[in-house]
Amino acid sequence: MIIREILALIAFLVGTFFGLFGMIGLFRFRDPYSRLHAGSLCGTTAVFSYLIALLLLAPSAAIGARVFIILVFFLISAPTGSSIVAKFIWESEDATTQRSSMKREDKSL
Amino acid sequence: MNSRRVWAILRFVLTTLFLYFVWVLFTSDLGLFSLLFGLAASLLTASLTYHIFLPEHEANLRFFIPHLWALLRFLFLMVLSLYQSSFHVVKAIITGNTNPRIVHFRTHLRSDLARTVLADAITFTPGTMTLDLNDDHLTVHWLLCTTTHTKAAGEAVKTKLEHALGRTWL
Amino acid sequence: MTDFILQAMLVMLMLFAVGTLLRLLLGPTASDRLVALNVLSAVSLALLVLWGIKVGRALYLDVALVYDIFGFLGFLAITRFLKDRKEN
Repeated sequence: MIIREILALIAFLVGTFFGLFGMIGLFRFRDPYSRLHAGSLCGTTAVFSYLIALLLLAPSAAIGARVFIILVFFLISAPTGSSIVAKFIWESEDATTQRSSMKREDKSL
Repeated sequence: MNSRRVWAILRFVLTTLFLYFVWVLFTSDLGLFSLLFGLAASLLTASLTYHIFLPEHEANLRFFIPHLWALLRFLFLMVLSLYQSSFHVVKAIITGNTNPRIVHFRTHLRSDLARTVLADAITFTPGTMTLDLNDDHLTVHWLLCTTTHTKAAGEAVKTKLEHALGRTWL
Repeated sequence: MTDFILQAMLVMLMLFAVGTLLRLLLGPTASDRLVALNVLSAVSLALLVLWGIKVGRALYLDVALVYDIFGFLGFLAITRFLKDRKEN
């Protein structure tokens, strides 16, 4: 019991670390792509760690099994959602100056 | 019975089994009524949608049935690289020196499922984010770019993942 | 100990939610707002699971499961809508 709680505390601290730096990155970076990297990746890691902590703290087996299924599906749904947002940024003109410089480099390949 | 019909029946059975598995997983109710109702519902749904769920041109069982052991290893690798890449991004946030570029490369995985999983898995490798997947052509935004050369970029981003995925599907 | 971890987790998740909401309101372009919304959906998923564990009822977890699987369909709809409006 006490080992479970200590492991949950470690997962909680790791998640808090990544989540706080993700929030800082969300405000520190200037362009939408970098914000997506910071927010989405660190946010995914933070929420994943929190879900592991909650899995360790689950009061009964039925609840634990549900949390485990949510955990596995979260590994599929999180990158899919961020890919959709990334494609929207690519197709919109919100990162336009950066995009034009990159297009020129692509032609030189 | 020609081979097209055999393949259609096989796809129908596989779709039904998958739907029934998801039904039992989500209802988590082993009563007789629930089991029979789920079987009927998955048979109906599979008869309507099996040609969309498993397209006819995916003509190999290895295209969508994974190696279980390789799949578990791949999931473990994913979780490991999720933490690793978050650590890289945190380092980039603290120091503030990033080098964002868009790179293009091709994959030689053949099934649609494996390509989709590769596109999702690239999001978990350090500082990369998939923008577009068009047949076998991937467009990737790379936050901590070291090279824009197509072949070198492909090597750096996807080789390890492609290796692990090639053992899981095809 | 367990209660303490759950309480601290609730506070931290609320903090993340406030941070992403701030980005959602400040974000100069539609892309920034969508990025914030993406993070916010993950945070609200964690809040649902946390509340289910705290209260000890599986009902919240079923809601969280469906929200997890179909959550990204909302983004698909939003991005498609914004793109169509831009083209017209």
